[in-house]
Amino acid sequence: MGVREAAAPGRLLEPRGDRLLREVEQLERARDRQSRRNTTLGRLAFAVVFLGLWEVASGRFVDQFFVSKPSHIIASLWAMIIKEQLFYHLRFTIIEALVGYVIGAVAGLVLGFVLARSDLVYRIVEPFVVGFYGIPRIALAPLFILWFGIGITSKIAVAAVMVFFIVFINTIAGIRSAPVQLLQVARVMGASEWDLVRKVVFPAATPFIIAALQITVPQAMIGAIVGEFISSNRGVGHLISRAAGWLDTPGLFAGILALLVVVLLMNLGITSFGNYLMRWNPKHGNLRDIQ
Amino acid sequence: MSTAEPVIVARDVYKVFVARGERRRRRAFLALHNVNLAIPRGRFVSFVGPSGCGKSTLLNMIAGLVRPTEGEIRYKHAPVTAVNTDVGYITQDDNLLPWRTLRENVELALEFRGVALVARRELSARYIQMVGLDGFEHHYPHELSGGMRKRAALIRTLIYDPDVILMDEPFGPLDAQTRVILQDELLKLWEGSGKTVVFVTHDLVEATALSDEIVLFSRAPGTIKQVYDVPLGRPRDVFRILAHPNFPAFFDRLWRDLKEEIMDVELGVS
Ligand SMILES: Nc1ncnc2c1ncn2[C@@H]1O[C@H](COP(=O)(O)OP(=O)(O)OP(=O)(O)O)[C@@H](O)[C@H]1O
Ligand SMILES: [Mg+2]
Repeated sequence: MGVREAAAPGRLLEPRGDRLLREVEQLERARDRQSRRNTTLGRLAFAVVFLGLWEVASGRFVDQFFVSKPSHIIASLWAMIIKEQLFYHLRFTIIEALVGYVIGAVAGLVLGFVLARSDLVYRIVEPFVVGFYGIPRIALAPLFILWFGIGITSKIAVAAVMVFFIVFINTIAGIRSAPVQLLQVARVMGASEWDLVRKVVFPAATPFIIAALQITVPQAMIGAIVGEFISSNRGVGHLISRAAGWLDTPGLFAGILALLVVVLLMNLGITSFGNYLMRWNPKHGNLRDIQ
Repeated sequence: MSTAEPVIVARDVYKVFVARGERRRRRAFLALHNVNLAIPRGRFVSFVGPSGCGKSTLLNMIAGLVRPTEGEIRYKHAPVTAVNTDVGYITQDDNLLPWRTLRENVELALEFRGVALVARRELSARYIQMVGLDGFEHHYPHELSGGMRKRAALIRTLIYDPDVILMDEPFGPLDAQTRVILQDELLKLWEGSGKTVVFVTHDLVEATALSDEIVLFSRAPGTIKQVYDVPLGRPRDVFRILAHPNFPAFFDRLWRDLKEEIMDVELGVS
């Protein structure tokens, strides 16, 4: 009797299950759309409120000379684009930051891999690495300008140094975090040294490496800008320090705004790349199910 | 024990470990001593013994991951001196690579061995289907259940067809039902394959249900105390193993012998 009762709805279960699957899929998609829309709307609202308060407060509660005003900044940005060739300067800054970033990141990765795979070498150089890491790297900027001149090379060098140590140290930490048992099992399966690096060690280190690559995007920008502050006749850093020299607050903010947009875009790129590399990680999965 | 020629031989094996704790407290201690063992080709052999007696260590030595301090392990007549890629190794943790989907995990060893993509796909599809995981090929390990992960770990080792399979408490963390089902699947995959299996477990019922021979280790420092032939025929029904007429007497004897080792440990501690 129990069997028959259980079997009867069991036969109905197929179409019901199929319908349920489709329903849940639709619901999920709708929810996704909604949550994306809510995020966008929320961001817009935040920006509007923030800029509105700034606009209203400036000149009324705070001295306009110091904080300027969104409307003035936009006007100033426009003037910068037209009269001062903002994009020309931006191009230099972006190239400096990007090239420095790539050089620093690649060097950090490669050196990190080489060092972490050999225990002896690692133990020998570790204190030196930590020592160099402890130097405020910005302080190296004047030195680099002495070495490489006031052109683009010195800024690239500063940006690269800003990036290098963080990527380097994180790479080493990531590689040393690869679980021994995974390595052992792969070895027994017949993995070569190169197989191990590519298929086990590197993926195990990606969370660390990605974090470093994300953290260092603005660092590269800082390096380039500081280099330009110290001495240059091109780049957004040059524009900003010139605006400061003229006590042109809106111009100063306009320069900062331009940098902010660039850093945001660069971060977007590296984040989506990181999410792609980390797609296997449950932390990047759907958190809704956990609540 | 058996007339078949041995694939694995341990001869006067000793293993000394040095704990890598504080430098001043560094102490060497004996993990295994005087281990002599021959494992015949094609047999299913289980290691049982108290925790910490060196079962995993011996398995690691057969896999070539750990070297004996003295004595030697011979595999197919040659001493094991490097990683032994001829064997398959299934650990207690499933050790699937979290960044690879089920299918990519199953194909891992084939990639290491340079098997072409088409052949890889074909083989993995067959094995995945064999254990009923079809439909989950593109799931990451964290999207699979514990039993599914174990099945994946099993077939990713079977897929490259090693002659010898080492299993270290492979079903340890599973629930009782999944465990028996997997034991049954393992026996079905193994029977008639001619493969040699070395299986570590703490579960005497499991050891009895699966094995031809059971090797009992003494408490640490471990050595082999006794080797038993399991008096049950083949094929076996693991679901009804307790009902087998020879089971109770054999199990009692095994348990009595093991208990001596465990009880002694408790006395030693307190
Ligand atoms: N790499 C190592 N370094 C130092 N000591 C080790 C190492 N590996 C194992 N040991 C020690 O050797 C002894 C035997 O360990 P082993 O893992 O072989 O035991 P086991 O029989 O597998 O135990 P269990 O049943 O709990 O898994 C233990 O005392 C352990 O602490
Ligand atoms: Mg063990």
